[in-house]
Amino acid sequence: MSTTSTGVPSTVKKRADLALNDEFLRKAVKFTTERLRNGKINAAEEHGNWEEWRERGRQIRLHTIAHLDYYLNLFADNARANGVHVHFASTSAEAVKLSLEIAQRKQAKSVVKSKSMVTEELHLNHELEGIGVEAIETDLGEYIIQLAGETPSHIIIPAIHKNRYQIADLLSKEAGETLEPDTSILAGFVRKKLREKFLEADIGMTGCNFAIAETGSMVLFENEGNARMVTTVPKTQITLMGMERIIPSWSDLEVMATLLPRSATGQKLTVYMSGITGPRREVDADGPDEMHIIIVDNGRSLQLGDSEFQELLNCIRCGACLNACPVYRHIGGHAYGGTYSGPIGAVLTPALQKNIAEWDDIANASSLCGACYEACPVKIPLHEMLIYLRRRKQEGGHGDAVESAGMKGFAAVLGDAKRFRGILRLGKLGQKLVVRNGEIRTKFGPLKGWNSYRVTPSLPKRSFREQWGTLEEELRHGLREMDPAMQNRMEAIARERKNGTGGGHGHHG
Amino acid sequence: MADTHQQWLEQRAAESRAKQEAFMNDIASKLRRPRVMEKPAHPFRGAPDFWKAYEWPLEERVERFSSNFKSAGGHVERLADMESAKRFIAAKAEELGAHYVIRQNQPELNELGLEAALPNAEVSVWNSDFEQYWKARAAEADFGIVVADYAVAYTGSVTVLSSKDKGRSVSLLPTVLFVIIPLERLKTRLGEVLVGFDEAGREQLPAGIHFISGPSRSADIENDLTIGVHGPGVVYALIVGS
Ligand code: SF4
Repeated sequence: MSTTSTGVPSTVKKRADLALNDEFLRKAVKFTTERLRNGKINAAEEHGNWEEWRERGRQIRLHTIAHLDYYLNLFADNARANGVHVHFASTSAEAVKLSLEIAQRKQAKSVVKSKSMVTEELHLNHELEGIGVEAIETDLGEYIIQLAGETPSHIIIPAIHKNRYQIADLLSKEAGETLEPDTSILAGFVRKKLREKFLEADIGMTGCNFAIAETGSMVLFENEGNARMVTTVPKTQITLMGMERIIPSWSDLEVMATLLPRSATGQKLTVYMSGITGPRREVDADGPDEMHIIIVDNGRSLQLGDSEFQELLNCIRCGACLNACPVYRHIGGHAYGGTYSGPIGAVLTPALQKNIAEWDDIANASSLCGACYEACPVKIPLHEMLIYLRRRKQEGGHGDAVESAGMKGFAAVLGDAKRFRGILRLGKLGQKLVVRNGEIRTKFGPLKGWNSYRVTPSLPKRSFREQWGTLEEELRHGLREMDPAMQNRMEAIARERKNGTGGGHGHHG
Repeated sequence: MADTHQQWLEQRAAESRAKQEAFMNDIASKLRRPRVMEKPAHPFRGAPDFWKAYEWPLEERVERFSSNFKSAGGHVERLADMESAKRFIAAKAEELGAHYVIRQNQPELNELGLEAALPNAEVSVWNSDFEQYWKARAAEADFGIVVADYAVAYTGSVTVLSSKDKGRSVSLLPTVLFVIIPLERLKTRLGEVLVGFDEAGREQLPAGIHFISGPSRSADIENDLTIGVHGPGVVYALIVGS
């Protein structure tokens, strides 16, 4: 390999051989953790004029998607001018092929990854392992799961199903010594271990929250700092980006930066928001020498020009609709098949594949309440899309048995007072969780793996068990009243259904 | 090796351009209209209008910044001058037992004389010597010291831009991060900083623009909040000036 201006032909081993002052780290970590726990974070703090921000976010996304050929083209030209190698992939297979080719060209032994929905969409880890390249997930939770040899597709809550003792066992094996089951010791070990991995890795791989057309920059939101590591330390960076991630300008980023963290985690901004514009400059001593951006279609463009589904492309992957959805919160305990789940997933999965038979009839119940639309920071009418999907599925003549079961399920929910109340109760539960339990909402069920960056608790720490206690209590005692607005909405939908006038009840009002 | 890789890249670039055309034409045809080649009018650019002129007076900016930064787990000190900043850092180095310190090669820091103030620590200056493997020096550092390019009160964030003399690693890899914020660089809104990047234009942008709003955090072990899994676990914002 060529020598860079950092003048480092040093061996991999040496690169990773750091004179770490371990004792110092331990002390320092304790120092802040204590402080953070004591300081109550007012995460859900008021943000004035939320509706105006939401509307602005929607307008920006609508405008960008309506002119996607212009903005995506501009982005690609500008990124290239920044020295990025830009690639286009129509299908997941093409994206995989490109990624693997780059890895092979670079003779990569290992790839460090930060969380990315697109790479999950492509099952890229598996593909990389297939050509003998180690793929290392660097989010703390994902790393633990990977050590356990468990794949995310079987795992709903990535590491929270493991207690600190199990995690200590896993990490002790990795460390070759016994680590105490203390969070800061375990996290400290992972810090050190992954630091070596970052320094040894040939390639860093990320997703992309937004891509800025006018300057060819890519933007990442995260809390741990691993996405920064992945884009700063390895010599080659590969970013996989959905073709719809575009926004026109940095000015527009202010709106997205206002909507995304607040909707996803209740933070005012994630700990890190990074804008990367091209590879390392000649004179810089860090950042990648070579940077690739792979722009992926994989079914996205099928939504263009489809008046009922085009707005799907406005999605900024915040996960708020999952938090809000009573049904998905409820089935959160069960594995969910696709990469994308929750209300957005229920629509996006079949839409991306143009395969409405994929549509899970659990989505029937989702279309009842519209909570997903209300939660959505860019006002995507998911509840209507679910109805369109059902209609199309029917029109498409997909399996009578399946369909009638679906319809029956839907009718049953509406017709059976007891189940109806059950749904309402779940809605109530959902709301409480969102408000009261900023962490668990993002750890549960389909939401896991959904958020486009990793999340953070917004409340003082309570143990896992204590949280379960609270949940149980809420189930038993705390669920008596319901939100009258929600009740009205549901009743209205039920009436429409009964009269056969439903199918497009207005969300714009 | 380098040659064939270069050739491979060129091949891919040619393919990419062809594919780009096809991609854009496909988008236009799916949108059932001709390709848009001219910059479209974008009436909704940036924040809502009511927000664009919003500004807090200086003292309120300091207060809001401090309270936001602290609730994210960061520390904030208000200091009269750079001399006090130096004393503060030196005292912390003493208190925490810092051995390795790395700082940006910024004029404000060059003048500070940190090296003399930290007799027990090895202070290195980012990218001051081409032989050094700087990422590793940053990765082993106890303290990283940077001067912020901007700070934003509304979100409690500091902004650091990369350059030859300002490594991205210095604000990322050390265990403890000190960010010196010259008072006049503290803005109210995120937009005040972001709009500047539009105005500067593509060619003026650095490779890395980073907004930092507290210590690195995670909650992946039993929901227990931990800090500093990857980035600095302790972050001091030192607001300097009066
Ligand atoms: S559809 Fe769901 S994930 Fe997408 S932006 Fe709306 S609320 Fe967020």
